Amino acid sequence: MKTRFNQKIKLRMLLVGLAFFLVMAGIGAKAVYLQVFCGQWLSQKAADQYEKSQVTFGKRGTIYDTHQQPMAVTIETASVAAYPARIKNAKATAKALAAALKLKHRSVARKLSSTKSFVWIKRQVTPKEVAAVSRLELEGIDFIPAHSRYYPQKTMAAQLIGFAGIDGRGLEGLEFYYDQELVGPIRHSKVLKDAFGRGFASSHTAAPHLAGHNLILTVDLTIQYITEKALEEAIKTSQARSGMAVVMNPATGAVLALAHYPFFNPNNFTAHQRADWRNRAVTDPFEPGSTMKIFSMAAALESGKATANTIFFCENGRYTIGRNTIHDTSPRGWLSLQQIIKYSSNIGAVKVSELIGPEVLFNTLGYFGFGRETQIDCPGETVGSLAPFKHWSKIDAGAIAFGQGLSASALQLATGASAIANDGILMRPFVVRAITDRNGRIVKTFKSQQRQRVITPETAHTLRRIMMTVITDGGTGTEAALEEYTVCGKTGTAQKINQQGTYAEDKYIASFIGFAPAERPELTILVVIDEPAQGHYGGIVAAPAFRKIARETLNYLKVPPTVKRDRLTASHGDEVLG
Amino acid sequence: MFFFIVELLFYTWCRVQNVRIGYEITQALAQHQQLVTMHNNLKIETARLKSPERISKIAREQLGLTTPSPGQVIVLP
Repeated sequence: MKTRFNQKIKLRMLLVGLAFFLVMAGIGAKAVYLQVFCGQWLSQKAADQYEKSQVTFGKRGTIYDTHQQPMAVTIETASVAAYPARIKNAKATAKALAAALKLKHRSVARKLSSTKSFVWIKRQVTPKEVAAVSRLELEGIDFIPAHSRYYPQKTMAAQLIGFAGIDGRGLEGLEFYYDQELVGPIRHSKVLKDAFGRGFASSHTAAPHLAGHNLILTVDLTIQYITEKALEEAIKTSQARSGMAVVMNPATGAVLALAHYPFFNPNNFTAHQRADWRNRAVTDPFEPGSTMKIFSMAAALESGKATANTIFFCENGRYTIGRNTIHDTSPRGWLSLQQIIKYSSNIGAVKVSELIGPEVLFNTLGYFGFGRETQIDCPGETVGSLAPFKHWSKIDAGAIAFGQGLSASALQLATGASAIANDGILMRPFVVRAITDRNGRIVKTFKSQQRQRVITPETAHTLRRIMMTVITDGGTGTEAALEEYTVCGKTGTAQKINQQGTYAEDKYIASFIGFAPAERPELTILVVIDEPAQGHYGGIVAAPAFRKIARETLNYLKVPPTVKRDRLTASHGDEVLG
Repeated sequence: MFFFIVELLFYTWCRVQNVRIGYEITQALAQHQQLVTMHNNLKIETARLKSPERISKIAREQLGLTTPSPGQVIVLP
C-alpha cells in the first residue's frame, strides 16, 4: 500500500518536474530567440521611444566682395507645414491659415484635405507670418526651421552672382557655378527626447556650426556701384534697350566690376524676365564693330609688314570688294595705320587686312582669345564665332578686320584689350579670389594666371601710343578723355543683324573699350550699349560712361594723376612767399 | 544597509542632476542659436547700412560731397 503511494508521489513529482522543465526550456528558448534573433530589432524599438532622428541642413556659405562685404547670405526662416490627418476641422483651419499667410483659401483647403501625411503650406515665411500663425494655436500645423538666401546688395552684380532656389541649390551665376562649395552639409543625428518629445541634451542642435564654404570675389562693391550708375545713366540718356560694362585689372585678369542693365533683384527673381537673369557679358556674343580694329592693327604690327606710320589709301570713303561696297563715315584719302585707328576707318582696316593676309589676322585674333573660351569661372561662357580663315571670302577678311562677320563676348573683348595693356600677356579672367571655411580660414586661393604672350612688349607699346590718339582732338573717342589721366581707347559702332539676316539700318551696338592710365594701366574698361535711340556712335554714347567709370574708380583706388599739373611744393626757408 | 541606502540616494541625486543639466544644456544651445541668428541679422543690417548706394546718397544729398575735380587733387612730391 505504502509502495503504491510512494510510486504515485514520484510520478507526480516527475510530472511536475517535467512540466517545470518544459516551461523553463520554453522560457530559455524564448530568451535565446529574443536575444539572438530579435535583439537588434527590439533594441531599435526601445531606442525609438527615447531617441528621435534629426536631420540638420547646414547653412549655405556667404558670398563676399573683395573687402569682405556680404553680397549673398543665408538667413534663418521657418516654413509652415501641416499633418492633414491630425486636423479635426479642416475647413476652419484652412480659412484661418489662408488669412494669416495671405494665401488663397481654396488652395490651402485642398492641401489640408490631402491624403498625404505631410504637406507644405507655405515655404520660407516672414517672422510676422510665423507670429500670426502661432497665435491661432492650430492643431496639426507645424513650423519647420529653414534657411533662406538673401542678397543685401539687392540688384548689385545680380547677374554675376545669380541666385539660389527655395531648396538652397544654386540656379544661376556664381551660386550655380560654385554650388558644390557653397552648399551646406546635411547631418543625420539622433537626439534623446523626453516624455513630451522635446530634444534633450543634444550636442547636434547648433546648426550654425554646419555651413558651406564662403566665396571671396575679386569684385569691389564700390567699383561695381560706380560702374552700374554710369551704365544706367548712359542707357537712360541714349534711351537704349540694354547695356553692360566690364572693369578689369589688366595685370592680373581680376574682374573688378561686371554690370548689366536692366537690373534685376535676386531676392525676387521670379518677378523678372529670364533674359534679365543672364550674365550676358559672359554668355552673349555680339559683333563688336570697330573696337576689333585694335586687334587687326596688332596683327599688322606684329607681322612686321606695317608700322604705325605705314600709309594706306582709304579710297575717299568708298571701296568695293566684289559685289560689296564698304563705306567710311568721313571720306579720307591717305591715312597712316595710326590714323586708321584714330579716325576709325573701315576701308583702312580692310587695306591693312589685305596687306597681312587672312592667316595672320586669324592667328592673331586667336591668340587674343577670340573664338575660344576665356576660361572665366562663370557658367555658360560663349566662345563667340570666328570661322577658320580658309573659309573666309575676300569680303569676310575685310569685314572681320573692322569687327563685322565675327562675334565675341564682352569679356573676350575686355580680356583681349587687357593683353595690350599688360605688355602683350593674355591673362585668364577670374571673379573668385578665395574660398574660406565657415570660420574664415582660407581653404583655397585663386591667383592670376598667364595664358600666353600674344604680342611683343614693343607692339603693345606702339598700340597703346596709337590708342591714345583716339582720345585726342579729331579722334572718335574724345568724350572719353580725362583731365588728370592719360587714356588709351577705341570706339565701336556695329550694325545689328535683323531677323531677315541682313544688317538693320537703325539698330546699333555702341561700345567703347580702353584702359587708363596709359603709362601703367590699372583698369581696363569696356562699355557696351545695345540699340541706343539717341545717337548711335560708340564715341557719343559709350565713351562718356567710360570716362565716368575711369575717373571715379581711379580716384577711389587713389591712383595718382598722370597728367602733369602745377604741383604744390613746400620749401624750407626764412621767407614766406605768398 | 545604511551604506546601501546612502549609495542609492547618491545615485538618485546624480541621475536628477544629470537630467537637470541636460535640460540646461538644451536651453543654452537654443539661446546660443538665437544669439547667432541675431548676430547674422545684425551683420546683414550692417551690410545694408554700408552699401555704396546708401553712403553715396547720404554723401551727396545730406553732406553735399562730390568726387574731387582734377584741380582739387594735389599730389605732394
